[in-house]
Amino acid sequence: MKQISLIIDGKEVRVAKGTTILEAAKSVGIEIPHFCYYPELKPTAACRMCLVEVEGAKDLIASCAFQVAEGMVVRTQTERVIKARKLVIELLLSNHPLDCLTCESNGACKLQKYAYQLRISSSSYQGERHSYVIDESNPFFIRDYNKCILCGRCVMADKYVQFIGAIDYTHRGFNTKISSPFDRPLQETPCIFCGECVAVCPVGALMEKNRLYKGRIWELKKVNTICPYCGVGCSITLWVKDNEVIRVTSEGGVNKGSLCVKGRFGYDFINHSDRLTTPLVRKKGKLVEASWEEAIKTVADNLHKVKKKFGASAIAGLSSAKCTNEENYLFQKMMRAVIGTNNVDHCARL
Amino acid sequence: MRKLKDLAQLKAFQKKAQAKFNSYWKRVRICLTGCRAYGAEDVRDSFLKELKKKKVQNEIEVVETGCHGFCARAPVLVIDPGEIFYQRVTVEDVPSIVEKTLLKDELIDNLLYHNPETGEKIIRASDIPFYRKQTRIVLRNLGQIDPKNISHYLARDGYSAFVKVLTELSPEQVIEEIKQSGLRGRGGAGFPTGLKWELTRKAKGSKKYIICNADEGDPGAFMDRAVLEGDPHSIVEGLLIAGYAIGADEGYIYVRAEYPIAVQHVKIAVKQAEEHGLLGQNILGTGFNFKINIKEGAGAFVCGEETALIASIEGKRGMPRPRPPFPAQSGLWAKPTSINNVETLANIAWIILNGAKKFSSIGTEKSKGTKIFSLAGKVNNTGLVEVPFGITLREIIFDIGGGVLREKKFKAAQMGGPSGGCIPARYLDLPLDYESLVEIGSMVGSGGLIVMDEATCMVEIARFFMDFVQDESCGKCTPCRIGTKRMLEILTRATQGRAEEKDLSLLLELASGVKDTSLCGLGKTAPNPVLSTMQYFEDEYKAHVIDKRCPAFACEALYISPCSDTCPARTEVHGYVALIAEGMFKEALELIKETNPFPAICGRVCHHPCEARCRRGDIDQPVALRALKRFVADRELEWRTSPPSAVKRTKKEKVAIIGSGPAGLAAAHQLVRMGYGVTVFESLPVAGGMLVAGIPNYRLPTEIVQLEIEDIEALGVEIKTNTTIGKDISFDDLFKQGYKAILVAVGATTFKKMNIPGEDLDGVYFGLDFLRRVNFGERVDLGKSVIVIGGGNVAVDSARTARRLGCQVNLLYRRGREEMLAAREEIEYALQEKVGMDFLVVVTEIIGQNGKVVGAKCLRTKLGPMDITGRRQPIPIEGSEFTLKADSVIVAVGQGSDLSFLPSKVGISKRGTIVVDPETFATNYPGVFAAGDVVTGPATVIEAIAAGNKVAIAIDKYLGGTGKIVKERVVKPILVKSEKLVSEKERHVIPTISVEKRIANFKEVELPYSEEMAIEEAKRCLKCHLKE
Repeated sequence: MKQISLIIDGKEVRVAKGTTILEAAKSVGIEIPHFCYYPELKPTAACRMCLVEVEGAKDLIASCAFQVAEGMVVRTQTERVIKARKLVIELLLSNHPLDCLTCESNGACKLQKYAYQLRISSSSYQGERHSYVIDESNPFFIRDYNKCILCGRCVMADKYVQFIGAIDYTHRGFNTKISSPFDRPLQETPCIFCGECVAVCPVGALMEKNRLYKGRIWELKKVNTICPYCGVGCSITLWVKDNEVIRVTSEGGVNKGSLCVKGRFGYDFINHSDRLTTPLVRKKGKLVEASWEEAIKTVADNLHKVKKKFGASAIAGLSSAKCTNEENYLFQKMMRAVIGTNNVDHCARL
Repeated sequence: MRKLKDLAQLKAFQKKAQAKFNSYWKRVRICLTGCRAYGAEDVRDSFLKELKKKKVQNEIEVVETGCHGFCARAPVLVIDPGEIFYQRVTVEDVPSIVEKTLLKDELIDNLLYHNPETGEKIIRASDIPFYRKQTRIVLRNLGQIDPKNISHYLARDGYSAFVKVLTELSPEQVIEEIKQSGLRGRGGAGFPTGLKWELTRKAKGSKKYIICNADEGDPGAFMDRAVLEGDPHSIVEGLLIAGYAIGADEGYIYVRAEYPIAVQHVKIAVKQAEEHGLLGQNILGTGFNFKINIKEGAGAFVCGEETALIASIEGKRGMPRPRPPFPAQSGLWAKPTSINNVETLANIAWIILNGAKKFSSIGTEKSKGTKIFSLAGKVNNTGLVEVPFGITLREIIFDIGGGVLREKKFKAAQMGGPSGGCIPARYLDLPLDYESLVEIGSMVGSGGLIVMDEATCMVEIARFFMDFVQDESCGKCTPCRIGTKRMLEILTRATQGRAEEKDLSLLLELASGVKDTSLCGLGKTAPNPVLSTMQYFEDEYKAHVIDKRCPAFACEALYISPCSDTCPARTEVHGYVALIAEGMFKEALELIKETNPFPAICGRVCHHPCEARCRRGDIDQPVALRALKRFVADRELEWRTSPPSAVKRTKKEKVAIIGSGPAGLAAAHQLVRMGYGVTVFESLPVAGGMLVAGIPNYRLPTEIVQLEIEDIEALGVEIKTNTTIGKDISFDDLFKQGYKAILVAVGATTFKKMNIPGEDLDGVYFGLDFLRRVNFGERVDLGKSVIVIGGGNVAVDSARTARRLGCQVNLLYRRGREEMLAAREEIEYALQEKVGMDFLVVVTEIIGQNGKVVGAKCLRTKLGPMDITGRRQPIPIEGSEFTLKADSVIVAVGQGSDLSFLPSKVGISKRGTIVVDPETFATNYPGVFAAGDVVTGPATVIEAIAAGNKVAIAIDKYLGGTGKIVKERVVKPILVKSEKLVSEKERHVIPTISVEKRIANFKEVELPYSEEMAIEEAKRCLKCHLKE
């Protein structure tokens, strides 16, 4: 790929053609603040936080969407740029609840982060603030549009990652709002509750219900693992406090950070009281805790018995989608080669 | 209709169409687009009925055309041959039009256009001043053809440009021709059209699109609509040529659904073009394919932005996206796309047929061709005008537009809609083009041009546009979504009197921030109305925010009533008018006297700014406020039994006032009522200053002045006449005599010279000096003919006085009548009295013989651009010298003040006025105050009274008082709520004595109203103070 040289804040940068200014800056450790930019999403240049000065351009340039050009000279820290960032932050703060004390996003919130960096504690521009009713109607996440900064990441994720189209911008001007059609609950829309929107929200507007008031972000331990649900094997990160998983996210992996409703929200079984922690063997009509050795032996003995009495074709095997491909392969191998039957099937999906 | 299969068939068809179009006996062209709102459909119907009745329906053709442009005169129609222009035609007029004009070739006078300036009737449309200065390229067919008839379009060379392109030019040549023409996008940004086409043509890809942006949405802009409605085939042809040039086989017309006639006519045009084989596959056998889709927009303003428009066509929410990539690279469905405005496309065929050279010969260096402006707002001739770039606003508004409605003062023009700015009067002479307008904070934009007069509040205008932007912002980017909301909130607070001073700096900060950071053109230009009004009308913002006052009286929370708020002395005008209407004359007078001790004087000579702002004047004529004041004042003087009794002296301090003019006496009046001892020193033998020395008796009889001054004396004010400070008493002695404060109110009583040769000749007089001598009974021999030089009140007073001395008078003024500073009614009276007036004349020398005046050498002038004072400067025309004979010359070109008596410590400005603190009226000499003409330069009586009131408050505060003016209000003005009580009668003409009775003497010209007249006149008041 053709390489392009440019200068950002005095540093010479070489990146591939087609790279945006923001990404080029990132490659040499220059962080340009942004809300709407998200690496997996098409840039929309909506938030105006990433504006920079480019030599020769009259207007400020949205670095998230503008591609580098040979010999370009970019400045990310000029007075004009800082002024623009401050304006954006102050305008957003002028219509934001500022309830960081109890906001789950506290510590991970981009608005908070940049306000802190720019030393803005309150907005000079006072005026009307929205007071939308918080939508708690779906079981997975709450939608608090009072906190929404309308970066549009959720819309882009919904449309161009999951290709659903359950939400979009509605209304105009100050009253612009991200909404489902006619503001109906998401259950009444094509929404599949993948939570992609929640994952990309840079503030606390979209928030998993399960984590509410269960721990601040800095108290949580992150554990990287693979989703146990299906054979795709999505990389997931468990956010754990006091040995309890209270949140699941994903970065990268085979799933490129996307998850389905189960992987993201279906972890309440982990600490559930009904969850089995040892094998059970039925003795005299009653299920009794047993060791794995005992349990496997019981299964093997009974399979032998059945095969002897009725033949191999009396046995059928049904495996689970929760198993990996390899496990499923081994299972059918065992059914065919060890037991000698072709009666093997799979539940196909959870 | 048989499809035209090749060029020969088209040419034959066109020839037939031409023959048919050009052979008629009588034709009535009636606007059936914009004029529909004024009943044009009914007018058409009654034409059809009437023609049938007369059995001439086959001989006389009624053509339903598009907009003729002159919307102010709707419904309009033109009768051919002869191009007879009839305006404001009603159904009732139709039978006589048919009977007289169509069948007997007689004109109907009252339907013809009469030039309001000259009264002359104009027959032909093209002779009307509204049309004369226009250059109609885009509007070439509007009003000429039936837009629903392709034959009409063909008859007027329609599709000939397309044929020329197909047969003679390569796509590259077409692009080159458009580039050479200098045509730039008429949607607002002004991008060179040829270049845009070239970029699209050169972009990679086999499929390309051309889009006509017909999403016109600026408040006040309606030219695209008119073109689509009145000449839709020109857009089809423009798209065909553009498609050929850029290599597109498909085009879109994105037209807003709120333009139903436009949508209908465009649909008809596309269908007709398809039926005739001008659209479709293998057009005219040339192998060129082209298809046009019509997309109706749902009315989102932002969809005029090209990327949002593309999103809208694609079925998405109309929201802009960042550029690059530009549509020329990746536009509709990610294919190279050229988006051109309606007006741009309507130019194309003309350029191809007439050549780039001809087109580029019109306009300025960088802006070629013409631009349509839609004239709206407070202008006489609202409508559509097409003018060459480089024309001035003055030409558009005054020559074409016929000036501001009701001869009000022009304040500003809003150009370019919500993206544009307000242009103040000082730029009236700026040649308009893309660059010049941006330089002054506005833009050509879509060409909306809204004229505003002094009753338009600039803060409210900014608020209106910001409200519009908030309604229309797509909400995508932060600055436009929230920034314009915060701006709107500040502006709303300002118009409601709730804004604080820091809001102004916040507003400015926001405006420049939003401009700098927004994503698309809408947000980037949305602050322009705020920025331009803040730049040019900063005082108005300050008035709203600091003084909580709306100078235009548009913001309800910020004024009491236009009349009261306009009065410099803040007299409660609506109050005394209400009292007069109720017959409570004594109470009315008391109310006036709270702020003005001279109602009888002001009732005669006040320049009554209150009447100029009276809202009744927007309906018929303003309430005669001055005459009402005179009525109650005169009645009191006539009926009362005794003068007012003395005010008890409650304060030990004494105040000295130098000068007994209106400023000095008004201050004395307030100070004595506050309980101070007051002495007024007057160097003349009588008190009154300019009231007795400057204003002639026929306007203000000396007895009236004396009566009102006696009242002030009766309150306890001591007036020492024949006492000149600096001669009889030294200035510093006043303090020694125990005066604790000194007010200098000596007025502007010295005259200025013109500094031309001959001013020292015998027979040269100076206005004020001349008036004083006549007023004091001195015999002045002017000879037979007199020249008066000047345009102010002193000049007109001198002229009328000289007339009364039996002279022939010729008043010469270097500017025009419009620019005269003298009161309008005075000018009227002077003309009635046969004072000759010659304008645009400057006197360069007074000629003498044997030391005596015999005449004056003059030069003609013309008016140049406005200077910083907002007045047009006279420019002498070389070689226009001429000489006038005269026995004497009265120079009345300005006044000054004699301040030689003042101690050197008192600060004097370069203009020769005393410098005071604007709040406290204090000079830099402790204890010395100044007010009136001596501070402001020559002004009016009521301004002097207002200054006197204010300085009295300041002196009271200086002497330890509260600064409160004593109010003796007996009765609250009655608030009459019933609308029935508003009289519908016209204004009572102020009675005067006949002209013959005036000339030979100095008798008062005006007579008072009778009681009935006064009550009736007072009932004309609209009671604006009730605001409901």
